[in-house]
Amino acid sequence: MIRRCIFLIFLLAIPTLGSAEDRDGKSIVRDAINHWRGLSSYTEMTMVIHRPDWERSMTMRAWTKGDKRSLVRVVEPKKDRGNGTLTDDNSMWSYSPKVNRVIKIPSSMMGQSWMGSDFSNKDIARADEIVDDYAHSIVKIEEIDGVVIYDIQSIPNEEAAVVWGSELLRIRQDHVVLQHAFYDQDGELVKVLKTMEVVEMGGRVIAKRQRMNKADEPDEWTEIEVNEVEYELDLKDSMFTLSNLRNPRD
Amino acid sequence: MRLLRILFRLAWRNLWRNHRRTIIMLGAIGVGVWAMIFMTALTRGMVDQMIVDSIGVLPGHVQVHHPDYQDDPSISNRMLISADDISERLDTGAVKAWASRVRVPAIITSERESRGVTLLGVDPEAEREISFFDYDEVDGRFLTDVNDKGIVIGKKLAKTLETEVGKRVVLMSQDPDNEIADRGFRVVGLYTAKTKAVEEAYAYVGRRTAQTMLRIGDATSEVVFLGDDYRNVDPIYDVAVSAVGEGLSIRPWYDIDTYLGAMLGVMDGFVLVWVVVIFLALSFGLVNTLVMAVFERVREIGLMLALGMKPGSILGQIVIESMLLITFGLAIGNALAWATVVPLESGIDVSIVGDGMEMWGMSSMLYPKLYVSDMVLASSVVLLLGFLASLSPAWRASRYEPVEAITKV
Repeated sequence: MIRRCIFLIFLLAIPTLGSAEDRDGKSIVRDAINHWRGLSSYTEMTMVIHRPDWERSMTMRAWTKGDKRSLVRVVEPKKDRGNGTLTDDNSMWSYSPKVNRVIKIPSSMMGQSWMGSDFSNKDIARADEIVDDYAHSIVKIEEIDGVVIYDIQSIPNEEAAVVWGSELLRIRQDHVVLQHAFYDQDGELVKVLKTMEVVEMGGRVIAKRQRMNKADEPDEWTEIEVNEVEYELDLKDSMFTLSNLRNPRD
Repeated sequence: MRLLRILFRLAWRNLWRNHRRTIIMLGAIGVGVWAMIFMTALTRGMVDQMIVDSIGVLPGHVQVHHPDYQDDPSISNRMLISADDISERLDTGAVKAWASRVRVPAIITSERESRGVTLLGVDPEAEREISFFDYDEVDGRFLTDVNDKGIVIGKKLAKTLETEVGKRVVLMSQDPDNEIADRGFRVVGLYTAKTKAVEEAYAYVGRRTAQTMLRIGDATSEVVFLGDDYRNVDPIYDVAVSAVGEGLSIRPWYDIDTYLGAMLGVMDGFVLVWVVVIFLALSFGLVNTLVMAVFERVREIGLMLALGMKPGSILGQIVIESMLLITFGLAIGNALAWATVVPLESGIDVSIVGDGMEMWGMSSMLYPKLYVSDMVLASSVVLLLGFLASLSPAWRASRYEPVEAITKV
């Protein structure tokens, strides 16, 4: 089994490890997203929301399947336990056991903060629109300690529902996203998601710790640290349903 | 007839016997009447403008919606009536302009801010007559046709969003299945409205573009018809009914915005109350003057009675005297009001209190409006009440006992 897994990963890696020159920006971005998510995944992570005068952390479990569906559930702290978010395509639902209600996040709230963090609901609901809604171009290829790093500039298409002027992705040859910066239309940095720590976990090299930071407020950030991760699990479709969001059956 | 001429002459001469008092009284009536008309013109102008502005923004004298749209202006309450159908059936006689548009709540987002707005998917050509701003005064440009891919927002909104012409913003709304419908738009123009609130409220995009984004095919949210005068909407109402047919809610503006409709009704009442209140203050002066005039002339009146003049003529003489006084006062007051309002009709700048005015939905320019009907109303009220007020001293004068009156010291 383990051998098969290794073989599979090897197989997956072959086309992407090919010659660096003839790879275009789009495929690098797509591979990075696929790498981070896998066909399906289970993650246990801790999110720390930091503000100048307070800080709080929550531990969550997240499942993803394909590039459309995901389920996030809060484990700790106790008072938030059971709060969940389900996304399917572009829709998003949230559930709070305290009110025992599933709420569909309306479009008007998609721009708002997700669970009080520096991520917006939109950031959570659709991470992979970046592949198709943008034009990607490699602006720089550099080699640090024998590892090739691509700097990719992604400019949203004219009609894409994206407010940014451009996004700059720094992706390592092994598909780890090192940095994801968001620039406004004047080319000024607005916020940046930085990878603080890269480790091998669950059979992949992944970004263990990532921090989202607004450019004009350096003291306010949200950090997500992955504690445990597993890939290519056999997750049932029933996992990503409203009834499972409400009544967990795991 | 001869009697009347004599009475008239007597009244006229009596009036100028104490000309200082008469002139003071004329001044008082003149100022009073001026105040009535001037204030009325001012408030008329205010209300007029409020209504015109609101209809301009609302807009449309007669509007057609889905029956549930008023309660829930969402995309699910749309009408499956296309603009082409209407233009085919429309009898354009009484209608100055008409337009069909998509109108739904949406969220507009820039890199830094997001705001709730009303998304208007419009046909720029049809809206030209209806729009509350001039296309040529738009910073940048206005939309060119229904397929225009750009967006036009208000100056204030652009400032709030920290965006400008040439930058992209994202509009987000819901499609009929409650799925998110969103799209990026490039800001092509910024419009200026009379109030900041309006500049923050509306975002214009091409109608076809909006329909595609919201996935609603040919459907629209509202059809509006504009006539020549907002006070007379019945003819266009009939035209609208025949053009769009059954099953939709077709309503004149005063029915949709009941606040404005009521405002107009209240205004007419207010003018009357205002005129009467000022007259009440005036009438004290008037009656006092007449009483004094009679009191001074007790012996003279007694003499006339003794010489055989009928009490009715005494009464007439005094009433005529008072009516002459009032008529002159009215003439002065009306002339004064006209002379002051007309130069101000181009607008009074009240921007010092502009913020407060805006809370009422009014702009910082005030345009007084002189209605002939208001002048006639004020004048006739003053004449009528002046007549009634002068009856009491006149009556008393006509009831004197001649002997007593003559011997009165």
